[in-house]
Amino acid sequence: MWTIIKNEGNFLRRNKILLLLSLGFVLILITSLLMGNKQVQQQSLSYETAKEHIRGQWESIKEMNPHSAAHYGTYVFKPSNLLSSLDEGVNSVTGNVLRVEGHVQNEIVHSEASQMEVVSKFGKLKSALLLQYIVPLLLIFLAFHTVSSEKQSGRLKLLILQGAKPFSLVIAKTMAVWLYGIALLVLVIIVYAILNLESITGEIVTRTFLFFLSYATYYFILTGLAVFFSVRWQNATVALTSMLGIWILWTIFIPNIMMSSVEKWHPLPSRAEFKAAMTEDRSKGIDGHNPSDERGKELKEKVLKKYKVDSISQLPINFDGIRMQADEDYGNIVWDKHFGNLRDVQAQQKASFQLGGILNPFISLQNTSKGFAGNDNLHHQEFLLQVEKYRRVLIKQLNDEHAYGGSKSGDWGWKADNTFFKSIADFKYQPIALKTVFSGYLIDVMLLLLWALFILFLLYRGAKKIQVV
Amino acid sequence: MKALKIFLFEGKHFARNPFKIVALLLFIIAGIYGLHNGANLYKNQLVEIQKINQNIEKERQNIINYYDEGKTGPQARPWVNVTEPFWAIWYSSTYNFKKPSPTMVYSIGQAEQYGFYKKVTFSSSPYDADMAEEIANPERIQNGTLDFSFVALFLLPLVLLILIYNIKSYESEQGFLPLILVQSASKNTWVFSRVLFYFLLIFLSIILLLVYGATLTNVFTLTSGILGDLILISFFYLMFWGVLYAMILFRGKSILGNTLQMVGLYLLFTFIIPAAVHQWISIEKPTNLMTDFIDATRDKKQELYDLPNEVAEAKLFEMYPQIKNTEIAKDSTKNLGALNDSFYALTNQLMKESIAPIQQESLEKNQMVQSTYWFNPVTYFQNHFNKQSGTHYQDYQQYRNQIQTSIDQQIRALVLDTYGGVKVDKPKYLDYLKKFNNDQ
Repeated sequence: MWTIIKNEGNFLRRNKILLLLSLGFVLILITSLLMGNKQVQQQSLSYETAKEHIRGQWESIKEMNPHSAAHYGTYVFKPSNLLSSLDEGVNSVTGNVLRVEGHVQNEIVHSEASQMEVVSKFGKLKSALLLQYIVPLLLIFLAFHTVSSEKQSGRLKLLILQGAKPFSLVIAKTMAVWLYGIALLVLVIIVYAILNLESITGEIVTRTFLFFLSYATYYFILTGLAVFFSVRWQNATVALTSMLGIWILWTIFIPNIMMSSVEKWHPLPSRAEFKAAMTEDRSKGIDGHNPSDERGKELKEKVLKKYKVDSISQLPINFDGIRMQADEDYGNIVWDKHFGNLRDVQAQQKASFQLGGILNPFISLQNTSKGFAGNDNLHHQEFLLQVEKYRRVLIKQLNDEHAYGGSKSGDWGWKADNTFFKSIADFKYQPIALKTVFSGYLIDVMLLLLWALFILFLLYRGAKKIQVV
Repeated sequence: MKALKIFLFEGKHFARNPFKIVALLLFIIAGIYGLHNGANLYKNQLVEIQKINQNIEKERQNIINYYDEGKTGPQARPWVNVTEPFWAIWYSSTYNFKKPSPTMVYSIGQAEQYGFYKKVTFSSSPYDADMAEEIANPERIQNGTLDFSFVALFLLPLVLLILIYNIKSYESEQGFLPLILVQSASKNTWVFSRVLFYFLLIFLSIILLLVYGATLTNVFTLTSGILGDLILISFFYLMFWGVLYAMILFRGKSILGNTLQMVGLYLLFTFIIPAAVHQWISIEKPTNLMTDFIDATRDKKQELYDLPNEVAEAKLFEMYPQIKNTEIAKDSTKNLGALNDSFYALTNQLMKESIAPIQQESLEKNQMVQSTYWFNPVTYFQNHFNKQSGTHYQDYQQYRNQIQTSIDQQIRALVLDTYGGVKVDKPKYLDYLKKFNNDQ
């Protein structure tokens, strides 16, 4: 079998058109990596500048009433991820700026896509674009006639007479073309590693390895299928057009239709419905600025009892801070319910979309690619959750300072000093643990492996029925 | 063999080739699916607007009731007084809508990247957080919706490729090309007639799909000839691919070579060039993180509030010279209240100044995109489709401008009526509604 693989490799090397094509393609791949890296660097620089600017503003607050500071708020920017230069996933369509303030959980805004007219339907020139859409086509072109050409030339009969087993022959043909895809994949990984040598961590190495494995499996599926068609059909043109048809269905047609369909199966509320429902639930709670509310009364009695006093003015602390924190706590229950529902629906959509991998391994590849690159919706939602957790801690610190910092109820002119504001930690995003990511994409990995096994089975069946004459 | 005969013979050839028929049918089915996706979004947006309008009516009726019942506002908010211009305008429930065009059926474009309704008050800005797009799964937005423009721009070249990829090369490989050439007037006429058949077949399919789409959202009611324009632009787009492919067919001799070249061109024009342009623009002009806008909404706004009253008043008088000599402006017991109520005029001006560079940057990005149109035709055609469907960036920029105009109108009325000492009654409130909501 290795002799056949070696021979195939020699054949591919001797093909001048293929060599030229490969050279051109390698150049495009390297360009995509260089451009992708440059863009990530630019975006990271822009992110760092904005982050420092906003943090600088926060730390330069000389003195301010804590509640005014809660309204002044701060901003969190979505950071770029090192693997964005390979696959930027959803980053260009999600917002980048999130306002963090009291009373409300805001939504992330100002996406890149909203800042200019449409340029590319398939995103930027990242390695993922080339590896997902273009390398498979190259593999199809290399594989579609590997066996049929042997049949037509009569070499197949000769090989069988020399003792080659049909299955070994078919596998060897598949492996030869597959290894070409692997070579391109390895090239991408090596160039990526060289460009990011200083920033590479164990986590990135593991993610890149999983990224590599997903593509390697998908390339095997595609190559194997093309070789199978080449075995089954006498006419190479039929094999090619069938594979082109499959490429169109898999990469363009099905993912699009599938994604649109899952959004219909698991509908998200409209923005107006979503806001109205939250307002409704929120209104049942205490109004942060209105102490006459029922819950406000209950809270007041509880606090007065705790401090064993008769009126708010006798309290040694600032009741306004306690009341506002109670309002925040109630608000958090409301946000968790509604934003949690949004996340649940999106998780259902994702689960249904992942099942599409049964019909179309490209769906599994797309999922694992952006998932392992850390730029999928799972990571985006995790970023939003972390920002919200930060918001809650920040606002609680401000409300606690308002309540227990030394002011009395109704003293809205009281101000906390700069040391307090500086003591509040800045937001720091912690990427999701790889274990969680992997478990989220286990189904995609399994489906890719099942597809690979199915292709092996097809090749085995095809080899058994191969017509030598 | 005459050209017409070759043309008609190709029809028979097509009818006997199930593979090609399936390819065309899939293309048409995708087109219908895409049209329905566009029509659904159009209808959903209309329904949403209708629901909001119903709520607006209720909100306004509540305020009108206050006037009828001689109340000044809700009981729980004793500080509200709807007889003052400030509160009457605040409660005018002004919404601005980006009403979908019936031609959205053809291209969803950037419609899912922006909001299409916004409550506008004198403290609003066209870049407020509530301008966010409708709630959607970002992975679906990233994948894009399969709309008609996607079918026309990305599937059309593929279906054309499938229909014509083996013209001439098949005969050449089978060795009966010389036989055909003996019967045919010329090789070029023979190839041209065959390609023309498929060209017209696809063009006819596109026209039928466009007309079908028009019936879904009443595009026929539009008088601006958009349908005709879309037919024309589809023709040119098909022509672009037809000419490219035909050149390959005229020159090439092998099926594999021709297919490889055609697919190569397809990938180059639909994937690689637009993606490279996108990447280039992102490097030259990274995503704007809106720090200048944030500064304006917080620190610079605070600086305005910190201004001495005389300075703030002078700024206001500069903007509205006609209020300088009003009684309230001269009355030291009333002018501070009027200044406080009118402060939004100053903050609005600040916001407008901070928005200008953002819009300039977007304009520059768009100019960069447009400068690539000569070698990036797919992006040109995509944006043309979006423009005709009212889902282009520019349409949403106009929507933002419309919001800004609405804010300016409210502020003008707020300042002039506050300093004019206007007491708002029911007719005046209705007048506000009419003035601020002329687009509803």
